Amino acid sequence: MNRQIQDAYIVAATRTPVAKRRGAFRHVRPDDMLAHVLRAVTAQVPQLALQEVGDVVVGCAMPEAEQGMNVARIGVLLAGFPDRVPGVTLNRFCASGLNAVAEAARRIQLGEADVMIGAGTESMTVMPQMMGNKVAMNPAVFADAENRAIAYGMGLTAEKVAQRYGVSREDQDAFAQASHEKASAAIAAGHFAAEITPYAVREHLPDLAGGAVRIVERWVEHDEGPRADSSREGLAKLRPVFAAQGSVTAGNSSQMSDGAGAVLLMSETAVKRYGVTPIARYRGFSVAGVPPEVMGIGPVEAIPRVLEPAGLTLLDIDWIELNEAFAAQALAVMRTLDMDPARVNPLGGAIALGHPLGATGAIRVATLMSAMQRDPALRYGLVSMCIGTGMGAAGLFERV
Amino acid sequence: MSKFIIRKVAVLGAGVMGAQIAAHCVNSGVPVILFDLPGKDDADGIVKKAIAGLARLEPAPLARADLARQIEVANYDQHLDRLAECDLVIEAIAEKTEWKHALYARVAPHLHDKAIFASNTSGLSINTLAEGCPESLQARFCGVHFFNPPRYMPLVELIASRGTHPALLDRLETFLTSTLGKSVIRALDTPNFVANRIGVFSILAVLHHTERLGLGFDEVDALTGPLIGRPKSATYRTADVVGLDTLTHVIRTMIATLPDDPWAAHFKLPAWLETLVGQGALGQKSGAGIYRKEGKKIRVLDPARGEYRDSGAEVAPEVAAILAERDAGRRLAALRASAHPQARFLWAIFRDVFHYAAHHLSAIAHSARDVDLAMRWGFGWAQGPFETWQEAGWQTVAAAIAADIAAGHAMSATPLPAWVDTLDGVHRVEGAFDAAGARFVARSALPVYQRQLFPERVTGEAERATRTLWENPEVRLWTLDDEDGRHVPVLSFKSRMNAVGPVVLDGIIEAVHRAEREHDGLVIWQPAGPFSVGANLKQIRPLLEAGDFVALEGIVAKFQQMSQTLKYAQIPVIAAVSGLALGGGCEIVMHATRAVCAQESYIGLVEAGVGLIPAGGGCKEFALRTSRAAARTATNDPMNWLQGIFQTLALGQLGKSALQAAELGFLREQDIVVPHAHEVLHVARQTARALHAAGHRAPLAPAGIPVAGRGGIATLQMMLENMREGGLISPHDYRVSLAIATALCGGDVEGGSLVDERWLLDVEREQFVTLLGTPETAARLVHMLETGKPLRN
Repeated sequence: MNRQIQDAYIVAATRTPVAKRRGAFRHVRPDDMLAHVLRAVTAQVPQLALQEVGDVVVGCAMPEAEQGMNVARIGVLLAGFPDRVPGVTLNRFCASGLNAVAEAARRIQLGEADVMIGAGTESMTVMPQMMGNKVAMNPAVFADAENRAIAYGMGLTAEKVAQRYGVSREDQDAFAQASHEKASAAIAAGHFAAEITPYAVREHLPDLAGGAVRIVERWVEHDEGPRADSSREGLAKLRPVFAAQGSVTAGNSSQMSDGAGAVLLMSETAVKRYGVTPIARYRGFSVAGVPPEVMGIGPVEAIPRVLEPAGLTLLDIDWIELNEAFAAQALAVMRTLDMDPARVNPLGGAIALGHPLGATGAIRVATLMSAMQRDPALRYGLVSMCIGTGMGAAGLFERV
Repeated sequence: MSKFIIRKVAVLGAGVMGAQIAAHCVNSGVPVILFDLPGKDDADGIVKKAIAGLARLEPAPLARADLARQIEVANYDQHLDRLAECDLVIEAIAEKTEWKHALYARVAPHLHDKAIFASNTSGLSINTLAEGCPESLQARFCGVHFFNPPRYMPLVELIASRGTHPALLDRLETFLTSTLGKSVIRALDTPNFVANRIGVFSILAVLHHTERLGLGFDEVDALTGPLIGRPKSATYRTADVVGLDTLTHVIRTMIATLPDDPWAAHFKLPAWLETLVGQGALGQKSGAGIYRKEGKKIRVLDPARGEYRDSGAEVAPEVAAILAERDAGRRLAALRASAHPQARFLWAIFRDVFHYAAHHLSAIAHSARDVDLAMRWGFGWAQGPFETWQEAGWQTVAAAIAADIAAGHAMSATPLPAWVDTLDGVHRVEGAFDAAGARFVARSALPVYQRQLFPERVTGEAERATRTLWENPEVRLWTLDDEDGRHVPVLSFKSRMNAVGPVVLDGIIEAVHRAEREHDGLVIWQPAGPFSVGANLKQIRPLLEAGDFVALEGIVAKFQQMSQTLKYAQIPVIAAVSGLALGGGCEIVMHATRAVCAQESYIGLVEAGVGLIPAGGGCKEFALRTSRAAARTATNDPMNWLQGIFQTLALGQLGKSALQAAELGFLREQDIVVPHAHEVLHVARQTARALHAAGHRAPLAPAGIPVAGRGGIATLQMMLENMREGGLISPHDYRVSLAIATALCGGDVEGGSLVDERWLLDVEREQFVTLLGTPETAARLVHMLETGKPLRN
C-alpha cells in the first residue's frame, strides 16, 4: 500500500475569494476563475517552465454548461499555458478538488510526472437547480426501497444525521455562530490574504439611459460569506427548510458559492531543479462509502483510512479542515471521532466561508498550506469532507 | 366627446393609498410614475420603500408580483419635469388642505395643458382644494376618491368642483370604469362625500346603540356581519383591520366639518376608543385593539372594565330566527317588535341609518341609487339603506321611523324629509329618486355603460329581459330579449355556486351541438355567483358511498367528453369568467376556444385539496402545452415547464388574478383579460363574433405528442420523496401528487414516447378513479362537503 517511487510536494497553492451564489462572481465564468488560479499558482514559481506541467487535474461537481466541455482543458488554454499541457476534469462531488490534488500527487508518486497541478472550480450561480441543468432521476431508484435515499436532498440527509446522532438545534446554531466568528476574525487578522489571489471582475452592463455598454470593473479580495453580524438570536429565528420538525436551517448549513483553487505539486527532482522550498509533503488520500441517507457521516469512515497507513492518530493532527456541509454532520463527525474542536476549522468553515462544491477541496488545501507557512508549529494537517450519495474523503499533508 | 387616451398616470404621494393606486394602474396595463418627497440617503428611497411594501400587504395590491417593477419611481425634487408625460395626475398625499395647496402650486407648472388633475381626498372639499390650482388648471381639476384596498373595493367617487369641465368627468369616468375596472358614482362636494358620510354615520350609530343597550363588541359583530348582508369582519373587527387611528381620524373629520348636522351631538369618540388609541392599541397592525389575539384565543375588550375577556358571543336563537325570515318587511317589523336587546339594536341601527340617509340625500348624492351602490361598492354591503327600506315596504317603514322619532327613540329629533311621505319607494323601473330635483333619474347614458349588458342593479330596478332558447334542469341557453338569438347565445348554469355535475355536463354538450347547428358562437357566462366552483361533489357523494366506481368513471369520462366538445366545437366557444373558476370550472376555461376573464378572476386546478387530480382534461392539456413549449427550445425538454406546473397542481395553487392565472399557465396567450367584471360578457360576445368572422374551425387534433414519461415521473417523485421523508407532506399527499406527476408525464412509458390526447385522457382518468377508491380521498371529499375546508390527512 505504501510503496511509491518518490514523494510529492506542495510548492504553491492559491484560491480566489469565495463569493456567494449570485454574488460578486455572478457574471464570472467558472472556466475564467479556473484560468485565474492556474496563472496565479504558477506565478508563485516564476522560474517554472510551464510546458513542464505534466497534467492539470480539475475537480468540478457539476461539470456541465459553463463548466462542462472538460473545463480543465478549457481553463488550461484560457490561462495561456502551452498547448502541450493537458487537462482532465474529475468529479467526486464535494471532494472533487481534494481528489484532484491527490490525483496530481499520485502521478508524481508513480513517477509519471514531476510537475502537476491539482485544482477545483465551481460556479453554483450557473446551476439553475442545485442538481445541475437537467435533473433526471432514474425510475429504478424508486423501484427498490433501499435505493430511495439516492433521491434525498443533502439537507434531508443532514436531518437524518442530526436525528441519528442526536445533534440538537442549539448545538448546530452555536457551531454555525462560531464558524462566522472565526471566519470574521480571520479576515480581520488578514489570515486569508496570503492564500487569496484577488479577482478583477469585469462586467459588461447595459447603460439604458446612455444607450451604451458600460464596462464595470470590481476588485474582489475577500470571502463574501462570513457575517460579522451573525448572532445566535438571528440563527435561532430561521425555520427548518428540509423537514417539518427539523433542525437544519439555511443558517446552520453551508453556503452556496462560487470559487476556484489550485495547488502546484512537484517531485523532489523538480523541487531541486527549480530551487523551490516545498510547503508540505502529500501523505495520502482516502475515500469511503456510507449509506446515502447519512452521507454527512462520510469522514468518520474516510479519516481513519488515511491516518492508519501513515501510523498516525487524530491526536497527531494539528490542523483539520473539516468541510462544514452542515453543522449537524460536522458535529456528528467530530463527536464520533472525538476530535479536538480547537483544531477543527480554526479560521471558520463552509457555513461562513462558503462551499463551491467541487472547488472546496483545492481551496481548503490552500488554506492549510497558508496556515503551515504562517505557523511553524503545525506538522500534520488534514482536509476532509462528506460527499453526496454517501461517501467521505480525507487528505493528509505533512509540513516539511 | 373627442377621444382622449390616458397614456400614463402620475400618482403624487406614496402612502398606503397612493402606492396601491399606482399598483392598480400597472395591474390594468397603465404606465404609472409614483412620486413622493426625496428621501434622506436615497432621493427615491421613500417611493422604493413604498413599492417594496406592496409585497407585504394582504390582499395583494398587485395582480402579479413582478408588476412592482413597472411602477416608475420619482421624487418632487428631481423629476417634476416628467409630469409632462402624464395625462392623469392623481394627488394622494396626507389630508391637509395647506399641504395639498402647496403641492399643487409646485406641480401645476409641469402639467401638460390637457392633463387631468385629481385629488384622492377622502373628504376634504373639492372646491376648496380647487382654489389651490392656478386658474388655467381649475377646469381640469376634480376629486377621485378610491376606497381601500383600491384593487378590491369597486367604488370610486368622482367629485366635480364648481369649475370642473363636464367632458373631463366623462373621460375620467370612462377610464376609471373600462380601464381600471372600477365602479364610479358621481358624488356632490360635501364632507366625506357619499359612502363615508353614510358609512361612518352607520359606525357611529352602531357605537351609540352598542353602549346604550350594553352589548358586547363581539356580540355586535355577530349581529352586523353576513346575517344582515355585511362583510364577515362586521363592525368592530373591521375597525381593527382599518386601524383605530384611522377610525378616530374619520370621526374627528365629521366633528370638525359637520357642526350643523342634526346628528352632530352623536359625532364623538367613545372614551374607550380614545384610551385604546392612547395606549397604541390601534388594532391589527399593533397586535391589539378592540380584539386581542392571545395564543390561539381571540379576546375582546370589555369597555366597562377596560380589560380583555374571552370572545365568542352568539346571536340569540330568537333573533337568528327573525333574521332567517325571508320577507324583508316581516323581518324588520319583527326586529322592531322584539324586546330582545339584540333585535332592538338591529332595528335601531337600520332606522337611524335610514333616517340619516333620507335626511341628507338631497345634499350629498344625485340619487338614492348612488347612495345604495356606494354602500355596496365602498363598504361591501349586500344592499344599500334605501334598498333595504324599500324592500321592507317603504311607507310601513317610514311610519315606523316617524313613530320612533316622535317617541324620542331615534338618534335625532329631525323629522323625515317631506318627500318620504309622497313616494312608495325611491327605486322604480324608470330610475332612482333624486331628492334635490324631486324627480326620478335614469342611469348614466355615458357610452361606456353600453359595455355592461348586466350592470349591478339595486333592488327594485328593472332587469334587462332575456329569452330562453333551450334549458335543462341545470343549465339555460338564452339570448337578450331585444336581440335575435341567432348569433351568439349565452349558456348559464343554475346549480348552486355553478357547480358542474352530470346534468350540467349534458347541458354544455347539448348547447354546443345546438350552437353548431343554429348559431355563430357560444358564450358560457354566469349572471350570478362564481364562474364555477368545479365538480359537484354533492352529486358524487352517494355514488362514492355506494362504491359505484363504474358510474363514477362514467362521470369523469363525460367530463372529458365535455372538455373535448368545447375544444373541438365547430363554433367559437368563449368562457366569460369572473370570480372563481376552480377545478372543472378551470378545465372549461382551458378548453374553450378563448377565455375572456375579468382581472378579478381566481382560476386554478385545486383538486389535490380533496385528494383528487384534474381529470376533465386539465392534466392532459398541460402535458400537451408543455410539449409544445418544449418543441420551441433547443433541448426539447418538457420538464423545464412540467416542474412548475406540477408544483402548481400538487399544491392546488390558485391564480389570484387573471394575470397570475396566465403566469401559472391556466390562461393562454390568446385569452383576454378585461378590467371590469361587468364588461366581460360584452367582450366575450364580440370575441365570438370576431372569431366567427375570421372563419373559425375546430383545431386539428394534435398527433404525436412527446411526453416526459417514466423518467419525468421519477424526477418529480424525487421532490415528493424528500417532502415525505421530511414530514412536509403526508403519505396521501405523496400518492395524490404522484398521480398528478403520472398524468402530466403521460404514464409509465419511455420519455419522448409519442402519444395522443385520448391516451393522456385515459391516464388521468385512471389515476383519478384509483384515488377515488382510497379512504383518505373519501375522507377529504366528505370533509370538504361538510365544512367547506380542505382536510389534511
